[in-house]
Amino acid sequence: MAPRGTLPAATRSICPHCGTLLDAELHERDGRVFLRRDCPEHGPTEALAYGDADRWRAVQPYDKPGASPLLRQTATDQGCPSDCGICPEHAQHTCLGIIEVNTGCNLDCPVCFAESGTGHQPDGFSLSLAQVESMLDAFVAAEGAPEAVQLSGGEPSIHPQILEMLAAAKARGIPLVMLNTNGIRLARDARFAPALADIGVHVYLQFDGFDDATHLAIRGRRLQEIKRAALDRCAAAGVGVSLAAAIERGVNEHEVGAIVRFGVEHPAVNGVFFQPVTHTGRHPAFDPLDRLTNVEVIRAVCQQLPDWFREDDFVAVPCCSPTCRSATYALYDGEDLVPLPRLVDVDRYLDFVTNRAVPDLEVAAALDGLFSASAAGGTERTAERLECVACGVGLPAELRDVAARGFMVVAQDFQDAWTLDVEKLRKCCVSEIVPDGRLIPFCAYNAAGYREQVRADLSSSAAAP
Amino acid sequence: MSTGFPELPALDLDGDPKTCCARLYESEAARWLLDGELHPGGKRSTLRLAELAGVAPGTRVLDVACGTGTSARLLARELGAEAVGVDLGERAIEQATRAAATAGLADRTRFVHGDAEALPVGDASFDVALSECSLCTFPDKERAVAEMARVLRPGGTIAIADVTATLAALPAELRTAAARVACVADARSEDEYVQLLRGAGCETVAVERRDAELTAMIDRVEARLRVARMLVPAGELRDRMREAVALARAARAEVARGMLGYVLLVARQP
Repeated sequence: MAPRGTLPAATRSICPHCGTLLDAELHERDGRVFLRRDCPEHGPTEALAYGDADRWRAVQPYDKPGASPLLRQTATDQGCPSDCGICPEHAQHTCLGIIEVNTGCNLDCPVCFAESGTGHQPDGFSLSLAQVESMLDAFVAAEGAPEAVQLSGGEPSIHPQILEMLAAAKARGIPLVMLNTNGIRLARDARFAPALADIGVHVYLQFDGFDDATHLAIRGRRLQEIKRAALDRCAAAGVGVSLAAAIERGVNEHEVGAIVRFGVEHPAVNGVFFQPVTHTGRHPAFDPLDRLTNVEVIRAVCQQLPDWFREDDFVAVPCCSPTCRSATYALYDGEDLVPLPRLVDVDRYLDFVTNRAVPDLEVAAALDGLFSASAAGGTERTAERLECVACGVGLPAELRDVAARGFMVVAQDFQDAWTLDVEKLRKCCVSEIVPDGRLIPFCAYNAAGYREQVRADLSSSAAAP
Repeated sequence: MSTGFPELPALDLDGDPKTCCARLYESEAARWLLDGELHPGGKRSTLRLAELAGVAPGTRVLDVACGTGTSARLLARELGAEAVGVDLGERAIEQATRAAATAGLADRTRFVHGDAEALPVGDASFDVALSECSLCTFPDKERAVAEMARVLRPGGTIAIADVTATLAALPAELRTAAARVACVADARSEDEYVQLLRGAGCETVAVERRDAELTAMIDRVEARLRVARMLVPAGELRDRMREAVALARAARAEVARGMLGYVLLVARQP
C-alpha cells in the first residue's frame, strides 16, 4: 500500500447505520480531517478522523512497509473488511494478539465496547483452557515468534482458569503477556498479584482518572480505592502495570495530565495508554464530528503538563497506520521528566519515505521495537531497547538505568463504525484471535460485525456458561 | 565528583570572551550538550551556506573560528573545496588536524592557531571567508569582518551564519556574560550584520533565515541539560544547571517572539 500523503484521500468505509460498504473520502476542513461517505439508504455521514490535518500529513512518512505473517487464515472473497482474517489483502502481520476469554464481568460499565456485564445479558461465553491454548497455537503458527498477547474479556481475572491461560501464553515463549483488567480481583485477592508475578504477567489496568464524575460516567461506580489497592498490590508483588485510560469528550480530558503524573510517581506503573472512547458496543451519546482523536488527547497532555511534553514528543508508531497510535518514552527521576525524542532524532530512524541514511543500525532496530504496538513500558525488552538508544546517543552509563525505566505514554485511537477507514484497517497490527483460529484485525472485529458473529456462535455452543 | 558526564571547563566569564568561547566549545561537555552540532542546523546549514556562497571544487575557503574543523572537512569532502581553518583554541586545532588526516583530507585542509581579529593568513588569498556562529561572540566585530575582507581576492565572498538578536528587546538574563558565550548577548540583528559587512566594503547578496534550526538546537541543549541534572546531587552545581535550563527556555521563548534567530548571509566584495 503506497503511503498517503495528501488530502483528500480515497478509501472505503461503512454506513454507521446499516453497515453497507461504501466508497469514502478523507478530506480537510478547518484544519482537521474528516471521513465522509454517502449511503444510498441513510444518506451522507461524516466523522472526525484526525484532529490536525498538518499532523496527519506529517505522520504519513512513518507508514512503515508492512511485513507478512507466516500464515493467512482466510481467502480474499468479498474484499476488505469482509474476509477477515487475516486475508491475503491485509498489509501487516500481527504485533499484538488479543484473546477475549469471557464476556462475563464484575462491573456493568456505561462504556464497554465488548458489551460485557455481570450476567443480565441474554448471551455470552467463557472459553475453556483448551480453546485458549489452541488460539495461542494459532497465533504462534501465524507469527512464528509473536511479540505480545493480551488476555481480555469481559473481565478475564474472574475466569477460573485465567492463571493457567496466562501461563500457557508464557509457555509458548511470548515475551509480553498482558492481562487487561479492571483491578477488582487484584485489589480483593491478595494472592492474585503474586501469582501474576510468578508467571511474569504485565497488567493493563483500566484507569480513567480520579474524579467521581469520571468514574460514574465511564465505569458506573467509584473505583478509586480499588484502583489504588490494585496498584499497591502490584507494586508489592513486583508486577509491572500500564494504565489504560478511556478518554471521552467532556468527561475526563481534564485528567490526562494528572493520570501521567500519578503514573510516573507510582512504583508499579511503567506507562499510560490513552484511548479515546470507541463508539461501539455500549457508549454514551456522542457527536461524531467532535469526537476525540489522538491529536486532542496529546494536546491535552501537553497543555496540562507543559514543562514535560510538547506535541512533537509523540512519535507516530510506524507498524500500524501512523494515525492509529502515537507514543513517547520519557526519562523521569522524581523531579523532572525528559521525553526520549528530545535526545535522539527519531525522525532520522523512523521516516520510511524520505531516503536518508540511518546513522546507527542497532539504535534503529531498538527504536523500531520501542515504537511498536507490541511494546509496553517496564518490560525487559523495552528496558534493553531503551538502554541501547541511551548508549547510542551518548548518555553516561549512570543515566542508562534511568533511561531503561523509561515511562511510556501512548495515544491509541481505535476505529468504530463511524470512523472505519478500510485503507487504514488494512495496515492494522492488533488482532483479535478467535476460537476457530482466525486473527481478525481489532477495529474490523469491533466495527464490521465480527464481534457479534463470534459472540453469537460461541453463545450457542456447548462452551457457553 | 564524577557524574559520568564530561566536566565543563572553568570559564573566566569576565575575561576575554574569545578565549572563553574557544575553551568552552573545544570542551567535551559542550560537544555533548550540543550533540556534536556546534551551530544550528549542523551540516545542513553549513552546506546551504556554502551553496549560497558558490563553493565549488577548488574554491579556496577560510573558516574563521573553525573549532575542530567539522565544516572545513565537510566542504573539502562534499564540495571539493580547499579549506583552511583558523581557531583560537589550540586543542581544537590539534584535533582538527588529526581528524583531517584520519579522514584522508590532509591535502585539502589545513588548520592554523590564530585570532579572528588578526588572521594569520596573507592578503587576497581566499575566494570565500566563512564564519559560523562566531561573529556574535567576537568583541570587535568591525575588525573581524575587515580581516575577512582583507584575506579575500577581489570579488571574493564573505559567508556568515549567525545568531540574530534584537538586544534591546531581550530580558536581562539573556544579556549576561554567560549569555554572550552562549552566542546571544552580543549578537546583532540581521540589518546590523548587513551594515557591518557594508562597512567592510561588502554588499549582501543573499539572506536566508533558519530560526527553526536555532529552536531545535536550544531544545537539544535544554533536554541534555535536564538529563545531566538528573545525575547531579543537590547542591550548587545542580542549582546552576537549573538556571541554565531556565536560560534555554527564555531563549526559546525569544526565538518564538522573533527577538532571537539564526540567519545565513552572503556578501560580495566589489
